[in-house]
Amino acid sequence: MNLLDFARGPALKVALAVFCLGVTWRILGFALLRIRRELSKPRASLFKTMAGGALAVGTRSWPHREFIGRTGPGEALGYSYHIGLFALILLFTPHILFLGSLFGITWPGLPSSLITVISVLTLTLFLAVLFRRVNNPVMRMLSNFDDYFSWFVTMLVIVTGLAATAHIGAPYERLLGLHILSFDVLLIWFPFGKLMHAFYIFPSRALNGAILTRRGAAS
Amino acid sequence: MPLINEGLTVGENLRLHGVSRRAFIKFCTATASAMALPPWMGTAMAEQLRHAPRPSVVYLSFQECTGCFESLTRSFAPTVESLIFNVISLDYDDTLMAAAGEAAEAALAEAMKDNFGKYVLVIDGSVPTGAGGAYCTSGGRSAVDTLREAAKGAAAIVCVGTCSSFGGIPFADPNPTDAWPVTAIVADKPIINVSGCPPIPEVITGTLLQFVTTGQVPDLDEHRRPKVFFGNTIHDRCYRRPFYDEGKFAKSFDDEGARNGWCLYELGCKGPTTHNACATIKWNGGTSFPIESGHGCLGCSEPGFWDKGSFYAAQSSTEWGKAGSPSPRRALELGGAAVAAGAVLGIASAGVSRSRQHQSERDES
Amino acid sequence: MSRLADIPIRIEPSVAVEPLIPVGGLGGGVVAILSELVTLLDRLVGGESPGAIDVRSLPMSPLDRTELQRALGAGEVQATLDAQGRSTIRETRVSGVWWIEHFDQQGELIAEMIEVARVPAILSSAPDEIAASARDLRARIAVACGTPMGGGNHAAHQ
Repeated sequence: MNLLDFARGPALKVALAVFCLGVTWRILGFALLRIRRELSKPRASLFKTMAGGALAVGTRSWPHREFIGRTGPGEALGYSYHIGLFALILLFTPHILFLGSLFGITWPGLPSSLITVISVLTLTLFLAVLFRRVNNPVMRMLSNFDDYFSWFVTMLVIVTGLAATAHIGAPYERLLGLHILSFDVLLIWFPFGKLMHAFYIFPSRALNGAILTRRGAAS
Repeated sequence: MPLINEGLTVGENLRLHGVSRRAFIKFCTATASAMALPPWMGTAMAEQLRHAPRPSVVYLSFQECTGCFESLTRSFAPTVESLIFNVISLDYDDTLMAAAGEAAEAALAEAMKDNFGKYVLVIDGSVPTGAGGAYCTSGGRSAVDTLREAAKGAAAIVCVGTCSSFGGIPFADPNPTDAWPVTAIVADKPIINVSGCPPIPEVITGTLLQFVTTGQVPDLDEHRRPKVFFGNTIHDRCYRRPFYDEGKFAKSFDDEGARNGWCLYELGCKGPTTHNACATIKWNGGTSFPIESGHGCLGCSEPGFWDKGSFYAAQSSTEWGKAGSPSPRRALELGGAAVAAGAVLGIASAGVSRSRQHQSERDES
Repeated sequence: MSRLADIPIRIEPSVAVEPLIPVGGLGGGVVAILSELVTLLDRLVGGESPGAIDVRSLPMSPLDRTELQRALGAGEVQATLDAQGRSTIRETRVSGVWWIEHFDQQGELIAEMIEVARVPAILSSAPDEIAASARDLRARIAVACGTPMGGGNHAAHQ
């Protein structure tokens, strides 16, 4: 069995299984936690509380005016590479077909040459992000193995994907095999590190917003 | 065809069959051009072969469908490629030779003895080893024994077709006859794999011609296929590549995209991972090739292509299980089991966390 | 199903073609091939062996090909070879440069060469064939006259 067959055969199966298992584990692990009993009088109805929660997801997605000067560039960088990542994952036809084979639905994609441009931009932004993390003293102090490894694994998928499309560095099947294998590694790592923020941020913001709305505080 | 006119050079034999020196130069020039060899090699090949005795070739067919041989011999009209049969001395081939039975076997034994160490052994078909080799026998001898015997005196072995190169369809899951490619049986001779199901005739003749002229094995890739023909993938040379780059894919056979000649990636084309010359040399004397005719590449020159999932599932789609189209039910079963296991762990973790929360709340108050 | 060959190509009319080779306005690819031909011609003049370029090995668009043919022009000699299909050998306006097309019996183009030589090799007769033909002819004359020719050559070879 060569690298490609292994990567998209048994390795992919195991990776997807571990992903499903891990994500379920961690989501239930926090969803079933107790919420501290609120002893103060509710300042908002249940409906308003929930609406406040939903609103908080939006308001907490961008820094307050006072802080934009300091945090703006970092936020912009973060948003840019996230958008780039989603575009190249969800709008590249071979990826669409892969997801289609898992979930049964497909959607139209972008021209592949445009995806290449987006991928190169995203790659550059990724490098900028690491540069920032290493150079900014606060970020450097806060960063741990989880941050760097999550970055590395995602970066590997992007780099191998670009190399495969451009046919650089090795025969195509090997590059494709490496790309899929690095995706398998990403899937296995995903539930156990900071990448879980993908599933956590929206519930987390919503919950905090709801609690604060109930207390009548600004969120 | 074989065994008559012994002792004649290639040139003399050609003339006897009405092929002039100049026609032979044309043939060699065309072959050299197809193999991307420098122009002077065509003339040099012709000149060298003309004065040489006809190289002896023994063609043995094992567990095969004869498609490879048909590809080589069946043409609409005599083509330049068929001249190869005037160049070589095909001393044994059970499909073409007039002799049969004991006479044929005697011809084989004599050819191998007379040309020991010098004949080119051409094999098509895989070699079954199950039941002591009984699944493929000829004249009471099993294919595996015949192969081992014939390989002893061969200068080189040319495996024609995916079956002899990689095992092919008999080798596909579950391989009931325990079939193997030639490389698994013979280890001590130079082996050239000309894979394809079937291979393009010009690829077969070009490889044979180059070997009998130079006596040297051409540059081979990691699967022992001549790089000059198998160095590029179909995708690299496909004329529909601009559509792939633009993201224009046909969604189903004969839909609007298909009629406009758009890329067949979504219809299962395995072009990106298939190495062959179909997109450049094409089939039937340059008429067309599968993608040009509207069907995706099957990947027939690659090892194990029968077991790589559906011919109609896109290459990037998942394939669960061997030798078949993706099985959604199995995916759901697997996913469901994983989610269930995760749920158990999640509930357990939550339970532990909750008790700690309870504990800390009690400690606080 | 659309093919590359179906895409219409419009060839821009170049400057008025003189009998001499027009060098202005030629594409880079064509100029590169012409340069290689010059190198081969120099070698031929210097006494080295003839050379050739395989046209099908060059990545040329149909436009480039037409430009190249017009740049080389047509010479005085055209020869047709009938051997397992037709071949055409045309001298170009450039002395020593010959354009050769080989077709098979179905009329498909199987090889295309630009040969740099005094005369393309395929046109010449081979020494061994000449010797054999001399023997044959002598024998035929002998049969026709009814007497063996003198000189010790017998009508042996057939």
